Amino acid sequence: MSEPVIRMENIIKRYYEGKPNELQILNGINLEVNEGEFVSIVGESGSGKSTMMNIIGVLDRQSEGKYFLEGKDVNLMSDDERSAIRNNRIGFVFQNFNLLPRANALKNVMVPLMYNPNHQKNRQEKAMEMLRMVGMEDRATHRPNELSGGQKQRVAIARAMINDPAIILADEPTGALDSKTGHMVMDLFHRLHEEQGKTIVLITHSKELAQETQRIITLSDGNIVGNKENQNYRNVVEERKALSMGGEA
Amino acid sequence: MLIENIKEAITSIFSNKMRSILTMLGIIIGISSVITITTIGSSIKSTLNSTFNSLGGSSVTVYVDARYPETDEEWDTWEYPEMEKEDYITQEMVDELLEAYPDEFTGIVSQSSYQSGKVNGEDGKYANINSMGVTAGYMEYCKLDMQMGREITSADSNGAKRVCLVSDRMVNNYFGEENPLGKSISIDFADGTTADFVIVGVYEYNQVVFGKEDTSVAEKDRYTTVYLPIGTVFEMTETENNGYDYLDFTVDPTSDIQQATADATDFFSKFYEKNEKWTIEAYNMQSELGMINTVINVITVAISAIAAISLIVGGVGVMNIMLVSITERTREIGVRMALGAKAKVIRMQFIIEAIVLCLIGGFIGIAIGILNGVLLGKVAETLIQSMYSDYASYIVMSVHPSVRAILLSVFFSMLIGVFFGHYPAKKASKMEVIDALRYE
Repeated sequence: MSEPVIRMENIIKRYYEGKPNELQILNGINLEVNEGEFVSIVGESGSGKSTMMNIIGVLDRQSEGKYFLEGKDVNLMSDDERSAIRNNRIGFVFQNFNLLPRANALKNVMVPLMYNPNHQKNRQEKAMEMLRMVGMEDRATHRPNELSGGQKQRVAIARAMINDPAIILADEPTGALDSKTGHMVMDLFHRLHEEQGKTIVLITHSKELAQETQRIITLSDGNIVGNKENQNYRNVVEERKALSMGGEA
Repeated sequence: MLIENIKEAITSIFSNKMRSILTMLGIIIGISSVITITTIGSSIKSTLNSTFNSLGGSSVTVYVDARYPETDEEWDTWEYPEMEKEDYITQEMVDELLEAYPDEFTGIVSQSSYQSGKVNGEDGKYANINSMGVTAGYMEYCKLDMQMGREITSADSNGAKRVCLVSDRMVNNYFGEENPLGKSISIDFADGTTADFVIVGVYEYNQVVFGKEDTSVAEKDRYTTVYLPIGTVFEMTETENNGYDYLDFTVDPTSDIQQATADATDFFSKFYEKNEKWTIEAYNMQSELGMINTVINVITVAISAIAAISLIVGGVGVMNIMLVSITERTREIGVRMALGAKAKVIRMQFIIEAIVLCLIGGFIGIAIGILNGVLLGKVAETLIQSMYSDYASYIVMSVHPSVRAILLSVFFSMLIGVFFGHYPAKKASKMEVIDALRYE
């Protein structure tokens, strides 16, 4: 068995460490996500899933335990090295899109390339290719305020994919969308997973949405209380394929 | 990366036009006042310099002067002495000086006004002239350009040759289309003598040297200057020993003119130690000019100091607006960090934004400053002309902004940007990515 993409060993996260109001959010998480998996992390608000996402996304450091991303202990890395990991090993998709308001769709997709010293050539072509992949090439020159929610999220996914990351980390990606556009965004994730074999970690409070993923990890009060394969996954995928094909016709 | 940062900075500045302009105001005022005052200052200086130079600015003038009595009693009985042959500065002394200080003095320029006269030709053709004996190199010294032919040479002077240079104006009036070179003209001098000279060169009339033309006289009656070799004039006036009572030494521009003046005084004084009636004086125009320049410099420094305060206030304004901008854009900073921007990249982005802001302000300030300078320069020209009304026709103000001040302003604007942008940019780069990302 090859090294999992994500390996967490006894991760503990405390806030206000050493102060009277010290708060322990994660109580020793052990987790492995293998390459090509599509997993969801589900939990109520306050369950610690945002903290999980911050640690997985190298946005925050754990208080104790070890986190290996592609076999590398990211906690040992310098801030600059962690920036580089965020830049080209993790593709973020946020609930509120987080596009740069003054830049058009193409420029937004290009931002991660700007911070990637190994990718200084043909950036525009590459960004255009990503927009084509998410079906947004004809909106390349539109600014975020000229795009609908679903379109914004597709641009954000194009941006997340541009440096060919090890994982796509999606935080409530459909949370700000109506159910129809939400489905379209989920279709896009399925396509990335099925066609390109991307490893995707979906963070959500919705059990319904979690049903669309291969494996569901349930978090409660800082502990993993459920970690099981989704038997229904194949059916969901087939059903969605049929639906989306019908929808497009 | 740098170009992208600059583009982004410009986008960001233009997306808040009013705010950006208000922010730049301090810098615009500061830079424009510096440019205005330096433009006027340098224009006045260069005008005075060029005017003085055409009157002998980059040279040391040496002349034989009477020893004036030291007490009032002596003054009562004193009379200005007659110059004897041996009182003149000889060519030998001049040559000796040039040999002794080869690094300082490049040559002599001397002129000796001769009489006015009239050139009479066939068919009633005529031209009014003033004649003047000059040394080799005089034309260059006066900044007169040759239109055709050659200048007066030392050989002309030493051989007392009967050659001359005439003005292009005189050629137009007298010769018309005919080529004047090699033609002989016959000058009837005011004292009744007549002499023939061969034209070897034609120089271009120059307003700075000769002053504005007297337009009240018909064009063909106006006097133009005919230059003769100084040796020829000496011969005609029968100054046997070719002595000078007054001459200019051209000074190497790299050497210290004050030192050269002192050296010339010391050198010639040796020859006059035993002379009871006559002594040597030497001076240069630069010391006169120095005083005016000092005044202008003091004014420039004073206004620049006030402008510097305005620039500092402007810089604080820039810092303030950068801090506001960074707070407003906390989310954007968080997103950029999440997408892999390193702290130093974020810092660079905001420093560049501050620099661009200051530079745009600087450029606007420079433009306004040049405009002000040109307008006020015109006012200054009229003022100077009325102050020196005798020389009014010689004073032609050339208003040109000081390149040094402009470069300095650009550099200074950047410096303000770096200095006052540094703290906000550092603050931005120190943000925690999760806090910035979740900022509402």
